[in-house]
Amino acid sequence: MAQFFYDEQIRRFMLQFARIFSNFQVEYGRNEEGTEHTLIRVPVRYGDSSRQAQTIIQQNSANELPSTPLMTFYVSGLDYARERMQDPYFVSTIAVRQRTYDDATDSYETTQGNAFTIDRLMPVPYKLTMKLDIWTSNTNQKMQLLEQILVLFNPALEIQSTDNYLDWTSLSVCELESTQWSSRSIPVGTENPIDIATLTFTMPIWISSPAKVKKLGVVERIVAQIFDAQGDASNAILDNDLLLGTRQVFTPYGYQVLLIGNKLQA
Amino acid sequence: MTMPRLSLYRPNRTNDYQFFDKTIKEMFTVGGLDIYIHKYLGPQTGDLGDQDATLPVYGSSNPLFIEDLLLLENRDRAYDPDVYIMRGVYRTQDVDFDLTQFGLFLNNDTLFISFHYNNMIDTFGRKLMVGDVIEVPNLKDYHPLDKSIPNALPRYYVIQDGNYSSEGFSQTWLPHVWRVKATPLVNAQEYQQIINQPFMPENIWDPGNFYPNGTVVNDGNTYYQANGNVPAGTPIDAVNPGTGQPYWTLIPNPTTVGDQMSTRPKDLEINDAILTQAYAEVPLSGYDTVKFYILPTTPEGQPAAAGYTADDTHPTVDGTETGEGITPKSFGYTMGYLTGGVDPGTGYLIPPNGLPVTPGVSFPQNAVAGDYALRLDYFPNRLFRYDGARWIKIEDNVRTDLDLATPALTQRASFVNNTYTVATTDLGNIPSRQSLSEILKPQADNGDAGGNLPPNPRPPGR
Repeated sequence: MAQFFYDEQIRRFMLQFARIFSNFQVEYGRNEEGTEHTLIRVPVRYGDSSRQAQTIIQQNSANELPSTPLMTFYVSGLDYARERMQDPYFVSTIAVRQRTYDDATDSYETTQGNAFTIDRLMPVPYKLTMKLDIWTSNTNQKMQLLEQILVLFNPALEIQSTDNYLDWTSLSVCELESTQWSSRSIPVGTENPIDIATLTFTMPIWISSPAKVKKLGVVERIVAQIFDAQGDASNAILDNDLLLGTRQVFTPYGYQVLLIGNKLQA
Repeated sequence: MTMPRLSLYRPNRTNDYQFFDKTIKEMFTVGGLDIYIHKYLGPQTGDLGDQDATLPVYGSSNPLFIEDLLLLENRDRAYDPDVYIMRGVYRTQDVDFDLTQFGLFLNNDTLFISFHYNNMIDTFGRKLMVGDVIEVPNLKDYHPLDKSIPNALPRYYVIQDGNYSSEGFSQTWLPHVWRVKATPLVNAQEYQQIINQPFMPENIWDPGNFYPNGTVVNDGNTYYQANGNVPAGTPIDAVNPGTGQPYWTLIPNPTTVGDQMSTRPKDLEINDAILTQAYAEVPLSGYDTVKFYILPTTPEGQPAAAGYTADDTHPTVDGTETGEGITPKSFGYTMGYLTGGVDPGTGYLIPPNGLPVTPGVSFPQNAVAGDYALRLDYFPNRLFRYDGARWIKIEDNVRTDLDLATPALTQRASFVNNTYTVATTDLGNIPSRQSLSEILKPQADNGDAGGNLPPNPRPPGR
């Protein structure tokens, strides 16, 4: 049976990449009232959209007006990073204990829940290259955006694809590799006046195979209490499946029953 | 006897010229179509705040003026509110949509439109120039994908070039035709006066002598919507005697051209969706360890035999619990980067195993060993645990918002998204965030962003 696996690892880096450049603003100059300048938020979206999606955005009409300023991003390269290669066969093992999760309240209890051993295979290093195109209709607008963006990269900004503690590949940096001031030749002819400044970023990322989740592989459970989260001593002592696997039950003198309160437990 | 030299050339506008000109004009009238022109008037006036010699402040709009004398561009353009109509001729062509990152463009969608020169001067007052915006009415789109758009979408172009047309020279070698090159308009800063024009439904006037309920009318520069069927000729501020309510309701922010026929609202919507998902995947910097259980240990470092039980349904910090060994001394899962658990509701650090904590600006009285206290007066907030004699630091609340929140712990928030003010003795509250080039200059606002602001002092520790 084919084993499908897909964890949206590159997609998640792209999401966070877009987040870095979201919510920047530019100032639209002088209004007739002579009052404050108008601040306009600059949208960020994927640059390599499909023709159909773009057609929908534009109302299936040639009359729809494309909008500036705008930032678009796309992946321009994904290369194996040989210099960051480590032992490909290395397996990192980590033991974790979870808190009990209460489905009813959708929250964690203060007691111990399941315990697991997590095996993580050495991830594969890659260099992800992304380009950010900044579309502006005038030079002043471009300078406003670049001044706000460029101060963030000295030379890099941290980027995280998840906040899962066990995901050892989620943290990376987004490094500004190069900048291209303009897409136009100077002086400008009679062509499209929309100018594009292009920033090229690289991110050292890792692409990871799925982790292996097992029941906690220690010799014994550390008994911190005899009741489980539901206050059930019987289940906590006899039927607790925290460690999973096959268990052998040893009782004093091989007794088969246990008296708790007024109840006999088999 | 000699014949005069034969020559059709006429240096001046003679009767021949007039004859040709009238004939050519008639050709435009007969064979051309109406073209609507939005006349460029010059840079917008106003905004006296720019104290920059390269950004002169003009008292009036004039196409001779240039807004930015350094970058040589007119970014904020004023357009005549009146729309001029002229007859023009252009050659229709088959074009393909070219998909770019910026959107779909009609490949080679460049119109070369010819106008009768003298008619243009008479109607428009000057030659068409770069920056004038034209509307081609026969290219209106009556069927956009979104059927809720109330009007047909007009096709806008902006003139990129203007010159005499080669086919417009008559036999006397004098020109009669002005040819412009026009490319599709984009929703850009330069055209905001056009983009921000109202784009409301067409007036519907019922032949039955009333405006039907919901009708939108334009009174001056203001739009009103009918609250019911309104008799024709009713003043805009009249009150319906039957209901006691006004006939018309003011529409304070009418839908604009940019709202309805620009990709900008959709682009922002797409961006918001990306941000929502990005925030869901990484709400705070660092790693969330709230789901992990930490085994309490005894003072000797051995696993504690006693702990909270399921019977302790409402554990408190009022000192009724037993002593050391109940609560963990650390988060445990600290191998990593900015670990911890943060309550999304309060933003407070959650103690190990989600145990109760007393937040405050001082340590709680009558604490017993194992109690936690979160000091909110520390920046970042600091979690302490009482061991019976001392309050021992466990963790700082280092996980932070990655976006725009002012209290975020990032340099970006601290320096860029800095909305705090600084109190002065002479200028009231001045902004804390100031440009280095303008900082504390001896001018009225002690900087570049004004004084006498509402107070917003920086919290202690920031």
